[in-house]
Amino acid sequence: MQTAVSPDRLLLEKDLAASEFRLGEIEGRWRLVSVEWPHVVIAVTVAERDQSDHELGLRFECTGYRQTPVTAQPWDLNGHRPLPHNRWPRGKSIIPSIFRPEWKGGQCLYLPCDRMAIEGHGNWQNEHPGRLWDSSRGLICYLEQIYDLLNSCDFTGAACA
Amino acid sequence: MSNDVMFIQAGHDSKIVEMPIPEKRTESALIAALVAAGLLNDENLRVFVDDAEDEVLKDREAEIKGLKHGCRIHLSHCKRIDVTVHYQEKTAELKFAPGVRVKAVKQWATREFHIDPKDAPEHVLQICNSKERPSSDTPLAALAHGCGCNVCFDLVPEKRVEG
Repeated sequence: MQTAVSPDRLLLEKDLAASEFRLGEIEGRWRLVSVEWPHVVIAVTVAERDQSDHELGLRFECTGYRQTPVTAQPWDLNGHRPLPHNRWPRGKSIIPSIFRPEWKGGQCLYLPCDRMAIEGHGNWQNEHPGRLWDSSRGLICYLEQIYDLLNSCDFTGAACA
Repeated sequence: MSNDVMFIQAGHDSKIVEMPIPEKRTESALIAALVAAGLLNDENLRVFVDDAEDEVLKDREAEIKGLKHGCRIHLSHCKRIDVTVHYQEKTAELKFAPGVRVKAVKQWATREFHIDPKDAPEHVLQICNSKERPSSDTPLAALAHGCGCNVCFDLVPEKRVEG
């Protein structure tokens, strides 16, 4: 007997095959690593810095996609585990406010479009309207923010394994 | 046959269409492919490859060097986009090709306003009279709404996420 695929999973698969996502892959902004519903692992390209990884792995949890925001945890692409805190991206100003491994044990990013982070932060609706989850765009709105952050001068590097 | 693809962005329509690059990579072949795909029904639409300044013309056989795997093709009513950026009490204006991306505009604006490069990440372009902050890879053609060929930005401080 076949099991029906849930609408959230179908929508995620559709978005991962959509032109917007493929364009980002071909332009080298990110690449799909694996999908194991409800998780998807995506590597985001980061700016070159001395002795720094050239990608940041993110493991997204996508239950309820796209109506419900996703939550993402920095991920060790080789070790298949949460990224050790000493290898999280570092920066001068904005990045340290978003990549906070000490917050919630490093389970998610401190980013308004993140499902776990937005809980209890009603003030972000007004303070960071451009960083909120956009259910019409889905994962792309999260990935674009991470790519922009980690390819700005604010990014100072992330220790290699 | 090549597997190379191009991505078509029509004006401010956020939907991107992916299609194969025509075998002959000439201006006329590209226009013919877009017409055949039903993407050029409006005769006032102009065609640009990536951030090129010159538009693609249907009666030219010239090879398009930028027509390569993953390129973006912009369909726009505008030949140029008039960009205005406000920063504090200052204003700067310049015309850009429709395919130029927001990150290039920000680089230009921070130079114009003599913002120290190390402080540039703490500023972001926000559409005037809105809270919309397009991502750095957004082409200007996607932001020039309506009939106007202009985009207005405020260069505003990027806040740390706190609270």
